[in-house]
Amino acid sequence: MSAPIIHAKELTKRFGDFTAVDGLRLSVEPGSIFAFLGANGSGKSTTIRMLIGLLRPTFGSVHVDGVDVIREPRRVRDHIGYMGQKVSLYQGLSLRENVEFYAGLYGLGGAELAERWGSLRERFELGPFEKDRSEDLSAGVRQRAGLAVATLHRPRVLFLDEPTAGVDVHNRGRFWELIQEEAEAGVTVFVTTHFMEEAEYCDWVSLIDRGKLIADAPPEELRRRFSDGYRIDVTVSADERSAVLAQLAAEPDAAEMTPTGLTMRLPALGAEVLAGLERVARESPGARIEITQPPMTEVFRRVLGGVGAAPTGGE
Amino acid sequence: MGALVQLRGLEKRYGAKRALGPLDLTLERREIVGVVGADGAGKTTLLRSIAGLLEIEAAEATVLGHDLAGDVTELKREIGYVPQSFSLHRNLSVVENLRFTARLHRLPSDEFDRRAKGLLGRTGLAPFADRMAGALSGGMKQKLAIANALLVAPQLIVLDEPTAGVDVAARSEIWGMLEAEKARALVLISTSYLDEAGACDRLVYLDGGRVLAIGAPAELRARTTLGLFRVWGEDSKRTSRAARALPYVRASRACAGYARVEVSAAGGPAEDDILRDLAELAGARFAERTPVDMESTLLALARRAEHA
Repeated sequence: MSAPIIHAKELTKRFGDFTAVDGLRLSVEPGSIFAFLGANGSGKSTTIRMLIGLLRPTFGSVHVDGVDVIREPRRVRDHIGYMGQKVSLYQGLSLRENVEFYAGLYGLGGAELAERWGSLRERFELGPFEKDRSEDLSAGVRQRAGLAVATLHRPRVLFLDEPTAGVDVHNRGRFWELIQEEAEAGVTVFVTTHFMEEAEYCDWVSLIDRGKLIADAPPEELRRRFSDGYRIDVTVSADERSAVLAQLAAEPDAAEMTPTGLTMRLPALGAEVLAGLERVARESPGARIEITQPPMTEVFRRVLGGVGAAPTGGE
Repeated sequence: MGALVQLRGLEKRYGAKRALGPLDLTLERREIVGVVGADGAGKTTLLRSIAGLLEIEAAEATVLGHDLAGDVTELKREIGYVPQSFSLHRNLSVVENLRFTARLHRLPSDEFDRRAKGLLGRTGLAPFADRMAGALSGGMKQKLAIANALLVAPQLIVLDEPTAGVDVAARSEIWGMLEAEKARALVLISTSYLDEAGACDRLVYLDGGRVLAIGAPAELRARTTLGLFRVWGEDSKRTSRAARALPYVRASRACAGYARVEVSAAGGPAEDDILRDLAELAGARFAERTPVDMESTLLALARRAEHA
C-alpha cells in the first residue's frame, strides 16, 4: 500500500461545548475515489473545511499531499481542487471568462492555459457553452464547468462536496464517468454525496456519525458486513444441475435446489466464486445466471441503525 | 367529484417563453405519483401550477374539483405544499411551528394534539419538540416542513424535491410518512433519487414542459430500449474503460464488483455476442444481462426526448 495522500489523525473540532468532529482518523490512498458519507449535521462539512485548510482543528493533525495543513493552510491550496454543492462561477461573466479568471488565480495563462482548457473543454463537453453567462447554464453544465474549473491547475487531490446534489440522473452518470477518468489519471478524489448508489463508484467509503467514524472500508467490505449478502440464481435443467454445481466448485450444501435450478447465498463474490461462474458461463451454455447484489441504501441503513454494528476498522 | 387532478392543454408562459405544456394529465387515484425529468423539464412549474400558485392557461384545469382558472383560495386550504425552499418560523419551536399552522387552518385543539403527536412520532422529531426551528439540522427542518404540510390532513400533498440533500435515514422516515398518507391523499412528489422514483406508484416523466411518458415504474422499465449488462471481475475500473471502446456501448461505469455497461438495444449485436465480447474485456470474469434499473429507464427516456 502506498503512503496515504490525505492523512488525518485524531482530528477534532469543538465549538464551545459541542464536539463537531471527534478524533477522526482518515487515510486516503493516492489515485483512489474516497466517499465520505454521513447524515446532515454529522460533521462532514466541518471535516472537509479542516482538510482543505479553511478551519483550524482544535486537536489532531492533517497532511494533504505532503503538506502539513495546520502549519501551512495556504500552501495546500496549490495541491487541491475544491468544488462545493453551489458551484462558484461569477455571474455576469461568461464561462470562458470565468475560466480565465480562475486560471489567473493559479498563474495559468497563454499556451499552457489554451492547451489545458482545450482538452478539458472537449472532454467535459463544454465547448457549446463557452460564451454563455454562468447564470444561464443548466445545472448539469454548470456542474461539469465547476469540475473543469476545479481541475484547471491539475491538482493532485480533488475535494467534491455533494457535487451531484440537484443534478439530474443523466448528468450524474456522465459526471461520475468524468470523476472515474480523473482517478484513472492518478488524481485522488474525496467526495461526499447523499446518493447512496454513488458509494458504489468509489474505492473506499467512510461513514461519519455525530463526529465519529462508524464505518471505514471498501464498499464490498461494507456489503459483506452489513447485508444478507449476494444471491446467485442459476436457471438450469434438472439433469445439468450437478454439472453446474461441479463447475461452481461449491459445497453441495452451499446451494439450495429450486424448481428451476439452484440458488446460492454468499457474503461476497470472491475470486473463487467468480472463477466458478466463469466456468458455468463457458461450459454450460444452457444455464442462466442471475446475481442479486444487496443495494447500498440497505447497507447504509443497517450501518446507521447499528444492526450488527461493530466499527469496521482498517486494522 | 371526478379526477383529483384533471389537466387538459395546460400551459404556463413567461412572456414569450413557454415553461410548461401544452400538457394533459389525469390523476384519479390516491397514490404516490413521482414527477421526474431532467433539470429544466418543468417539474417545479407543474407542481406549482397544480398547487394553484401560478396563473395558467388551459382548456380544462381542475384540482380537487376547483378550477385553477377561478378562485383558488379554497383549494390552497385543501393542499399540503412543500416548496423547494420552504420557510419555517426560525424563532418558534418545532411544536409552535405546527401550532401556528393549525391556527391558520382553525384546527380544533384536540385534533391538533392527536395529529401533531402522530407526526412528531413518525418524523422522529418528538424529542426535539421544544427546539427552535432555526437550530434544527437540514434533515430535521425538511421533516418539520413536511409535518407542517400534513398537519391538516390534506387530500393532495405536493412536494418539490423534499429529500434533496437529505441523508438516507431521514429520507426513509419521510417516505414512511408519505406511504402512510397515501391511504387518504394523492401525493405528488418530484425527486432525483432513483430509489425514490422506483418506490412511486406512478411516474410522470417530463421533458421540455411536456409529459413524455407516464406509467408505473415497472411499466416504464419494460418499455426501455436500453440493454443493461454487468461485467463481473477483479478490476471493474479497467473493465469499464475497456467496455467504452466497444462501438455499441452507450455508457460504462465502474461499480463495486462489476462494470455497469449500457447498450442500445436497437440495431446492435445479438445478446449472446454482446455477452461474449464483454466477458473477454480486460479484467472481466463473466458477463450477465441484468434487468433494466431505474437509472437506465430514465436515461432511455431522456435520450428518446433528445431524438424526438
